[in-house]
Amino acid sequence: VDGLVTSEGTIYPLLTRLRKEQLVTTFWRESEAGPPRRYYELTDAGREALDDFAKEWARFRDSVDAILTKEEA
Amino acid sequence: MTTMQTDRLVDDYLSRLEEAAAHLQRSRRAELIAEIREHIEAALREEDAAGEVAVRNVLERLGPPEEIVEAAEPPAEAEPRSTGRLEVAAIVTLVVPFIGWLFGIAMVLSSRAWSNREKTIGTALALLSVVPFVTLAIVDSYTESTSGTFDVVFFVLWVIGGLPSALYLGLRLRRTG
Repeated sequence: VDGLVTSEGTIYPLLTRLRKEQLVTTFWRESEAGPPRRYYELTDAGREALDDFAKEWARFRDSVDAILTKEEA
Repeated sequence: MTTMQTDRLVDDYLSRLEEAAAHLQRSRRAELIAEIREHIEAALREEDAAGEVAVRNVLERLGPPEEIVEAAEPPAEAEPRSTGRLEVAAIVTLVVPFIGWLFGIAMVLSSRAWSNREKTIGTALALLSVVPFVTLAIVDSYTESTSGTFDVVFFVLWVIGGLPSALYLGLRLRRTG
């Protein structure tokens, strides 16, 4: 994702943390070409946490936007 | 560039990662390295250009190993080498004969305040104290002496058996805590 992840490798420690908090589960699945691959999937708790964050984020974004547009005006 | 040379690029990267992750718990480290290796293998299969360019691109996108490890566990709080209740309890328990050794060793091993090397030495010291104890017991049973000398030495060993270990671990704790 643009402007978010500077080095792809750091995603793995993050995924591990999410797994420990049981927000994601991981499993292996056969791939059409090559060896099986690891997949990650949100758990119910993970989906809930994501919804909460999305709401929180929208509020935060709106507040920042409000301040920034006021400054410009 | 041959396959062997590109393999070396990957190996170098993974050993840098291993080095950077030295302070992580062993299982955590192994897991991280396995995940990164899987990622490299999967990413290489998707690259259009083969060979060195592909490998370098994949590794570059992964980012410096140090950065990955830092995301796993910031070094500052990686190993809280502070003296906790567990450590104090472990040392005190070590001095209690027999059962104390067992529980003490268990507590020492589960603590994160000591390094693996310190744990090994501490455990060895605790176990070492069993040797004169058992030797005396055998000698005693052979000589069938009923004199009190053996019993006294016996008792003293019994009591101070865990001391060397407790002392060592305590001192190490002081130095690093």
